Amino acid sequence: MSDPSITVSHLSKNYRLLGTRSQFATLKSALLKRDLKLAPEAGVPALKDISFAVDRGEAFGIVGRNGSGKSTMLKIISGILKPTTGIVSVQGRIAALIELGAGFHPEITGRENVYINGIMLGLTRREIDARFDRIVEFAGIGDFLDQPVKTYSSGMYVRLGFAVAVHVDPDILLIDEVLSVGDEEFSQKCIAKIQEMKYRGVTLIFVTHQLEQVRKLCDRALWLDHGEAAAIGDPARVVDGYLQLVSGTQAAPPKPEEPKVEAAKSDEAPEEERWGSGEVILRRVALTDDKGRELVALGAGTPVTIEMDVDVRAPQTDFVFGIGIYHADGTCVYGTNTELEGLAPQKLDANGRVRFVMPSLDLVAGSYRVDAAVHTRNGRAFDYRRGCIRFIVGSRVHDTGVYRPKHSWKFDGGIDLVATDTLTRNVPASIAEALRETEKKKK
Amino acid sequence: MDELRSLYRHRQLIAALTARDLKARYRGSILGFFWSLANPLLLLGVYTLVFTRFFPQQVVTPYPLFLFAGILPWTFFSAAVLESTVSISGNAGLIKKVMFPAEALPLVVVLSHLVHFALAIPILLVATLIFMLLGKVTIGVTILLVPVIMLLQTVFVAGVAMTVSSASVLFRDLRDIITNLMQLGFFITPIIYLIDRIDSRPLRALLRLNPMTPFVIAYQHILFFGSLPSLSDTLLMIAYAFVSIATGFFVFDRLRDTLAEAI
Repeated sequence: MSDPSITVSHLSKNYRLLGTRSQFATLKSALLKRDLKLAPEAGVPALKDISFAVDRGEAFGIVGRNGSGKSTMLKIISGILKPTTGIVSVQGRIAALIELGAGFHPEITGRENVYINGIMLGLTRREIDARFDRIVEFAGIGDFLDQPVKTYSSGMYVRLGFAVAVHVDPDILLIDEVLSVGDEEFSQKCIAKIQEMKYRGVTLIFVTHQLEQVRKLCDRALWLDHGEAAAIGDPARVVDGYLQLVSGTQAAPPKPEEPKVEAAKSDEAPEEERWGSGEVILRRVALTDDKGRELVALGAGTPVTIEMDVDVRAPQTDFVFGIGIYHADGTCVYGTNTELEGLAPQKLDANGRVRFVMPSLDLVAGSYRVDAAVHTRNGRAFDYRRGCIRFIVGSRVHDTGVYRPKHSWKFDGGIDLVATDTLTRNVPASIAEALRETEKKKK
Repeated sequence: MDELRSLYRHRQLIAALTARDLKARYRGSILGFFWSLANPLLLLGVYTLVFTRFFPQQVVTPYPLFLFAGILPWTFFSAAVLESTVSISGNAGLIKKVMFPAEALPLVVVLSHLVHFALAIPILLVATLIFMLLGKVTIGVTILLVPVIMLLQTVFVAGVAMTVSSASVLFRDLRDIITNLMQLGFFITPIIYLIDRIDSRPLRALLRLNPMTPFVIAYQHILFFGSLPSLSDTLLMIAYAFVSIATGFFVFDRLRDTLAEAI
């Protein structure tokens, strides 16, 4: 929040209706008054009072149905369109992939188009010289480089457009539904490139209908519905809310007090987040040991079970149970679900219990959280409980990473090391207690 | 003056787009830029035929050379202005999909027509040389003033182009209006005749109101008669250039924000 790269505050956009008779009025008013904006009510509202901020290096997704104002939003951020009211402030160089190769001229060669496109995106000729080989390599158009662009296949056209845009080294990259073009291989390449840019601290804004991409790539998401912000926040949650709407289910969410618009960033929030349509409920989710006792602190290598008590309010035939384990910094340690593991749903018509059994949970010391969910195979949640369990893994050894494989050190020859007691030195008393207990149990 | 700053900032883009325009236009054509000469040469041929054979009452000799001096700047003006009416609406993709300085588009049109004009000057010089060898005309040093007049005219044309390019996004029929005005303009500009030969004083005054008149007269002076343009014509050219570019910037500035929506 401290370093916003894009700030949008109370942004509204009305499109004027250009009637045949009003044209004279608008031109006259344009010349007499200083601007051409009519009264705000005299247009079609495309965006209504939207506010959000995107931090540097954040990936921000925008989802919504056609005509909900997604592209308008991007065009306003990029400066192509002007807001009717409200303020948009942007820090840094923007590259907008609203239409790949939009600036290409069909009659001239790919090489010449790379230069012109690069200049349009704000590079100098010399800067393009320095990037030229990388651009061509990324686009992979080979011998066609010196052919007129009109001879290109649509895939080549798009690849070249994308290659130029991402090599501009923008601070902010706006992407409008362009990753769906091109073949699978190029699409993967684009996503890898985008992830690399994100890693380097480029701020990303996506508009897409491919909700999986939002889930995977974005840190936060905005759902626009008829020009209004229906939800802002955790991408999985926003996407889910959107899916619920699209699939037409009007079922009440399991928690009626669930806020519709959530402005704060959510990933570090200590409380559980929960959403879903509510036909099936995960009434209780708990982390237990092999005796069924609930755990909050455990040692590495402990046998652990995630228990989910399931309440069925309406029987389902299409359902998937899933779990995810995350480190406190947001890293996904492990995630799976019954669908991924080839477990076909047979019946879900009465309350029951689902257990996810791990003979030993080999994690390094740290805090973790668990997500548990029951949803349909296409991802519409019945009940999604993000961070429903939080637990601490204690360890006498302060090794790093997330996964601790079972291991030991062996020394031969002229090398010798001797074990010391790390427990009292490194671990808080409460956790040390828990550790000793587990160790006693093992013996 | 934001426009001026923006144009300066985007000078590389404007240069690259102008080069692209010229390349794209002539790629795949055998005669290349000579096509841009086809229209003025055709006009030249037709009017020479009409005024030396059909109605042999030549105002000046050699008539083709006189015509040439007037037709070239007129073609520059009319072609650039006409084409600029679609320079923005014809590049909707750039305006709507890319962060693009819209003011570059009419300017690119003007510059690429300026290049055509400049490339035709050597042909005019060769023609003059031929007539000179025939002993019918002399070349004056005033010909060195051509770049100055061209610069003034370019500023004037750029202003008109900026006005019509942005306005025609809102008024789609502006192009048709301008096409017809250009036909009329050709005859109310002293290209095929000498303004001094017109007896009616009010008519002469009316012709002088046409902003292209002092430019065409100036070219005829320095290219054909070998004399300097009059002081009043010079002042008029400067005034028209200034008013035109100021109007162009003013109108463009007011319409700029609506271009991406209205296109």
